[in-house]
Amino acid sequence: MTATAPEVSTPLLEVSGVTKRYPGVLAVDDVTLSLETGQIVGLVGKNGAGKSTLIKIIAGAEHADEGDLRLNGEPLELHRPHDATEAGLAFVHQDLQDVGDLSVAENVMLGLGYPRKMGLFVDWTELHRQAAEPITRLEADIDPREPVGELSVAKQRLVMIARGLAQQAQLLVLDEPSASLTDEEIEHLFAVVRRLRDDGITVVYVSHRLEEIFELTERVIVMRNGQLVADEPTESLDRSSLIAHITGHEHAQTAVERRASRGVGGRPDAEVVLEVDGVSADTGVHGCSFDVRKGEILGVGGLMGSGRTEMVRAVFGADHRREGSVRVHGIEVSDKHPSESMAAGLALLPEDRKTQGNIMDFSVRHNITLASLDRHRARLRVPAPSGRSEKQATDRRIDRLSIATPHDRQLVRLLSGGNQQKVVIAKWLEQGADVLIFDEPTIGVDVDGKEEIYDIMEELAAEGKAVVFISSEFSELVGVCHRVLVLHEGRIVGELEGDAVTEPAIVEICYSQH
Amino acid sequence: MSEMATAQAPSPESGGRRQDFDLLKVISRFGVIITLLASILIFSILNDRFIEIAGIRTSLNLASPLLMLALGLTVVLAMGDFDLSVTGIQSAAGAIVVILIVNHDWSWLLAVFVGLLFCLLAGSVNGLLVSYAGMPSFITTLATGLILIGTRYEAADGRNITGAKDLPAIYRDFGVGRPDPWLELHTPVWIAAGLAILMWLLMSKTEAGRYMYAIGGNPEAARLSGINVKALRALGFTAVGFMALFAAVTSTARTASSVADSGFSTLLGAYAAAFLGAAASKRTLFNVPGTVLGVIFLQAVDRGLILEGYSTGVRDIAKGCILLLAMAFTRIGASRR
Repeated sequence: MTATAPEVSTPLLEVSGVTKRYPGVLAVDDVTLSLETGQIVGLVGKNGAGKSTLIKIIAGAEHADEGDLRLNGEPLELHRPHDATEAGLAFVHQDLQDVGDLSVAENVMLGLGYPRKMGLFVDWTELHRQAAEPITRLEADIDPREPVGELSVAKQRLVMIARGLAQQAQLLVLDEPSASLTDEEIEHLFAVVRRLRDDGITVVYVSHRLEEIFELTERVIVMRNGQLVADEPTESLDRSSLIAHITGHEHAQTAVERRASRGVGGRPDAEVVLEVDGVSADTGVHGCSFDVRKGEILGVGGLMGSGRTEMVRAVFGADHRREGSVRVHGIEVSDKHPSESMAAGLALLPEDRKTQGNIMDFSVRHNITLASLDRHRARLRVPAPSGRSEKQATDRRIDRLSIATPHDRQLVRLLSGGNQQKVVIAKWLEQGADVLIFDEPTIGVDVDGKEEIYDIMEELAAEGKAVVFISSEFSELVGVCHRVLVLHEGRIVGELEGDAVTEPAIVEICYSQH
Repeated sequence: MSEMATAQAPSPESGGRRQDFDLLKVISRFGVIITLLASILIFSILNDRFIEIAGIRTSLNLASPLLMLALGLTVVLAMGDFDLSVTGIQSAAGAIVVILIVNHDWSWLLAVFVGLLFCLLAGSVNGLLVSYAGMPSFITTLATGLILIGTRYEAADGRNITGAKDLPAIYRDFGVGRPDPWLELHTPVWIAAGLAILMWLLMSKTEAGRYMYAIGGNPEAARLSGINVKALRALGFTAVGFMALFAAVTSTARTASSVADSGFSTLLGAYAAAFLGAAASKRTLFNVPGTVLGVIFLQAVDRGLILEGYSTGVRDIAKGCILLLAMAFTRIGASRR
């Protein structure tokens, strides 16, 4: 597949025939593309499609087995990440890579050499002045003296972009830059990206959120199974054709269609399983009360920082409750330890599968059985797990949830994000809770994976479990939830039910609070 | 499905050269064992007394208290904690037992029982401070260890407490004892072996052991899975105390005295053994068989160098170099994985 280069100028970056193999996997398969100066290019594909590997090769963090790179027509040799920086390529990764204890200015100028006084001491005034330049260019309200660790995620990303500007970057790669940003922050980010494009910087924008791709980019590159499967102007695509490129098969259902086809309706007569009454916590939760019924999927929406995670953590007893009560099947549950909530039938699938959901260096099997290990005793009284019993249970879950893993002894660290999330789900299905709280289960999960997670939640509800589903993507809530609560600053400020559950209605409640 | 790609068997065009024999990988995986075998080979060539069975028996006997301490450390290390007070507990408990028998004419059984209570108490205090009060384990146990060493020192004006005549023969048998008729090993070796099997069962066969490794992997994920992280961490420190009692009894019984010693080199030896054991394991986790291997390794090197007539200083240098080497192998492996 050869990209057509315009006659007028040489492209900024040319990638030709780049191939990268890992043991057992062809991660990048003969990819050829070229990027022009001053373009916003979307790079999309499922988890494991080869996007990250391709980016790592361009960043000099991985070495291609075959193929080569050219920058402004000159061959580009990258032996280490610093070479890419020198060449004017800047990368903002999803996991923020700044140094939290250092100030904004120190982070922006990191690796560029700080200005010196008398050849020895750092010239702080000059450092702050130099760092202020790119920050001003981004129209960001950030004090160069502030420690980066105390900034919001959005501002930390801007600091990373500012570092790229300070390095005179010609190409800026943003990997999932909108994750954990509020809508306003995303708007600002978009404005920044457009301004950079107008200044002649090429921006590669990697995202799973297709709405953003359509709003922001001029051209879309789609990768699947390591190959470049589409490279087209954004305007020639629509949502369903893009999804078809990404997944390789025709199936694109919008949230509204999904809602219509499944007939999402409440069960007002079903038994109330979870009763939350006036729960407050020092983490910023104020008097939250709600019920969840058997067979219901209750959505929890709200902007970033609205206290959704904090509320469910207090309900589960992961954090201490200042006041209020939680009852499961009418029986009060204490907040002493998560194990008490689990015994009562509550389960929390935490927001971050890497730091809270899984033991990353445990095998799939040991993660899945971790919350229900006492059910795998060979002899009932001896607290020693039977490997055979564990394996049977695990294999069943791997099969049911179609977790892509070579075997049940594989380390969870080596699975893709979506499969790691499925391992968390499998652990709690195995534990057998009656009320399952899913905190942002679809973050960083690709299109197919998301669908599978929705299906799992719907199956659980159909089996008579109660499900609480937190999401920042309101369309998801519309797609699967019977009822949606909206939070703002740790308080429940709205509740939508039945046909009233629409995206505009949720957004309306979120923004009418300001 | 692209996610399946990672799970599939290698396709014909992608396999091949990446899966060739990689010498560095083998060295990193089996580095500790290779170094151990090489050392044994070299020492056997240098001096044929190195593989004399009687000498090996004595070596094993000498290494037994070290193994007992290292076993306790393996438990806390697996949960991501340090305990630097272990030799302090051992030293104080040894003094208590010897003083009670020698100076106060207590029966040895009762004295050992009091020693046991002391060890469990000291371990539990560490556990409470670290796990429940949330103090960092490294500095907390350094502090409690110093207090115990200092108390031991003051209790006997810095002298050894000897009791060759007063310690009953049955107590002294814990130090050497009549060798068993089959393998002709001394009592401490059997005690250490029994404790090692007990700890191995605990750590790799029980629910508690699984939970301990989960805590070591990610304490917050473990807590959210319903594991009682605080109790298990505290219990780990109590286990260290428990092990320290056995080390205290076997070592005071062997020398028929409580030696006034900071226990510093023993402490480092026990840590070295546990870390060697982790380096020898596939996923570099602290584990009981590894710790046993580590103790045997250190003792073999020590014995080999003693037979060659090297002084304590040289032996320490050699052991330090071996530790660095083993860790370097493991690092090489980790960076290439």
